[in-house]
Amino acid sequence: MPMQTVELREAIRQALDEEMQRDPTVFILGEEVAEYNGAYKVTKGMLDKWGPKRVIDTPIAELGFTGLAIGAAMTGLRPVVEFMSFNFSFVGIDQIISNAIKMYYMSGGRFSVPIVFRGPNGAAAQVSSQHSHCVEALYGNLPGLIIVAPSNPYDAKGLMKSAIRNNNPVLYLESELSYGDKMEIPTEEYLVPIGKAKVVTEGIHVTLVSHSRMVLLCKQAVDELAKQGIKVELIDLRTIKPLDIATITESVKKTHFCVVVEEGHTFAGICAEIGFEVTEHCFDYLDAPVKRVTQRETPMPYSKVLEKETMPTKERIIEAIKQVLS
Amino acid sequence: MAQDTAPKYKFFQSDPEKVIAELGKEKLLRILKEMLLIRNFEIRAESAYQQGKIGGFFHSYMGQEAVQAGAMEAMGKEQWWITSYRCHALALLLGASPNELMAELYGKVTGNAKGRGGSMHFFTDKLLGGFGIVGGQIPIATGAAFTAKYAKEVLGTKDNKKGDVAVCFFGDGAVAQGAFHESLNIAALWKLPCIYVIENNRWGMGTAVNRAISVEPIGEKKAPSFGMKSYTLDGMDFFNTYAGFKHIFEECKKSSEPVLVEVIVERFRGHSISDPALYRSKENLQECMQRDPLIIMLKTLSSHGLINDEEYQALDKQQKEIAVASMKFAEDSSWPDPITLEEDVFAP
Repeated sequence: MPMQTVELREAIRQALDEEMQRDPTVFILGEEVAEYNGAYKVTKGMLDKWGPKRVIDTPIAELGFTGLAIGAAMTGLRPVVEFMSFNFSFVGIDQIISNAIKMYYMSGGRFSVPIVFRGPNGAAAQVSSQHSHCVEALYGNLPGLIIVAPSNPYDAKGLMKSAIRNNNPVLYLESELSYGDKMEIPTEEYLVPIGKAKVVTEGIHVTLVSHSRMVLLCKQAVDELAKQGIKVELIDLRTIKPLDIATITESVKKTHFCVVVEEGHTFAGICAEIGFEVTEHCFDYLDAPVKRVTQRETPMPYSKVLEKETMPTKERIIEAIKQVLS
Repeated sequence: MAQDTAPKYKFFQSDPEKVIAELGKEKLLRILKEMLLIRNFEIRAESAYQQGKIGGFFHSYMGQEAVQAGAMEAMGKEQWWITSYRCHALALLLGASPNELMAELYGKVTGNAKGRGGSMHFFTDKLLGGFGIVGGQIPIATGAAFTAKYAKEVLGTKDNKKGDVAVCFFGDGAVAQGAFHESLNIAALWKLPCIYVIENNRWGMGTAVNRAISVEPIGEKKAPSFGMKSYTLDGMDFFNTYAGFKHIFEECKKSSEPVLVEVIVERFRGHSISDPALYRSKENLQECMQRDPLIIMLKTLSSHGLINDEEYQALDKQQKEIAVASMKFAEDSSWPDPITLEEDVFAP
């Protein structure tokens, strides 16, 4: 199979480009996506190729352009909305929640909302309290929304293509610190299905579940533990909602231990949900309570010392795994 | 008691004679019938609510019938239509049956949205809703106007299946929302064919408009700040709303530019059914009910020999019977099967 090495941002760009080629109703809008080529260069060169009618710079008006895109989706188009950061989605959150997420059900199945909201989620490097939110648990509470969070360029491309073709609102979460990550991916077209987790490393001693950039930290922990003879089964969720609980339970029934890692906060987080579901489905198989590693319960501090302290680290993950196994 | 002093409006100038000549007897009587259906539907639905047949919130369109009836006649059902939670009339005008709408209010499976939406969320193929958050529909309408333009410019669609324009109704209270400002700015910037209609009934729930909005008249003062045109219509007079919307529609189609319309109306009821409107004097309400849009229309039509009182009564009775029959339909309809609860959370 012919392969190419691309950065994660390029993988997303290819997906957008291919889908715009395939379907003229697909268009991109957001702040700085066109003339500036995207704040993180995901949409680089797209204005030149597709023109200003399909690659559209918006004013700084998240409520307005988010709602506009939802209205366009209800009337037959397939918008891809870029939030320069998912923190800014809060400005338009009423449109996402009240209109995009509820519409298909509330209208008795009359209006679907095929739309993708994409952009960087979570912490970057010292961007402080208002620019570091992990939004998946907040949005994950609401029925009617699909949430995907790829951890590598291969999944990023395949999931974006699936997201654009899906007839529901999809939250597509990226990470600012991962845009430059490189990987060899097929040159030919492929899709990654929504709703399917991936077993990254097979193991027998403990199941480790995570998503997005935290998967990279988990991999480091897995490698280090392997040297100590602990074989960890690492699962990358890829799709957070709908949650692929089957893949997780199958693994936990084999390993009897489970640790869950997320970049977001502890209370009512993704770990809380997975931990509960694992207890529900695997109670008789578990040899210890499920443990989680999350961001601590503080707003994100600026100082790099404090930032490191609140975020999950390889060390905290290793410590949690050793605790459940002891 | 809150002060309620209306400013001087520059109303769109219209001539009932011209409208009568243009539409003719048959159409005018059909429009009157549609307005009577709205009135009777609201009256019957209110009584069903009082009997405990209908739950939740319920916002009556009584008193505002001439606005959407005039707009619909002027622009046609092919456009995209969007409104607030006060959405019963627009659904009826777009052809939703009284039966399916009453059944929706009753929460029955035969309802307009399968019993999932209720009073605030009615839909048709061209009615994007019934929106429950004040001003929440304004960006949605702007998106529908975007689609109308995109269909012509990018998809090269020749027919107007995607509509020529989007028509967005909202109350005076919604003008204070950020959604209003953001949407109008983008629509003007991108030249989107959206007709924004403020139905100013002078009350945002119990707050008088001059306690919520810093300038009046709203349309005439706000539009220039977006570089938009504005029109002010008399919402109690069908002949004025029809003539005004016709003019506005033609202009918007030609220019593909948004326009802000302020329609001055009266709300005959409280904000919702649970609001007794104690903030409003009886004299004020009686005075405004003198200008009932149905009476104005009847007087004009009868002075031209197009209808007499007896015929009007017969027409009214007929619409009342349709509304009553819709209650029976709703009553006799089945409840949604609980097994269907989790269906349609996601589109296939």
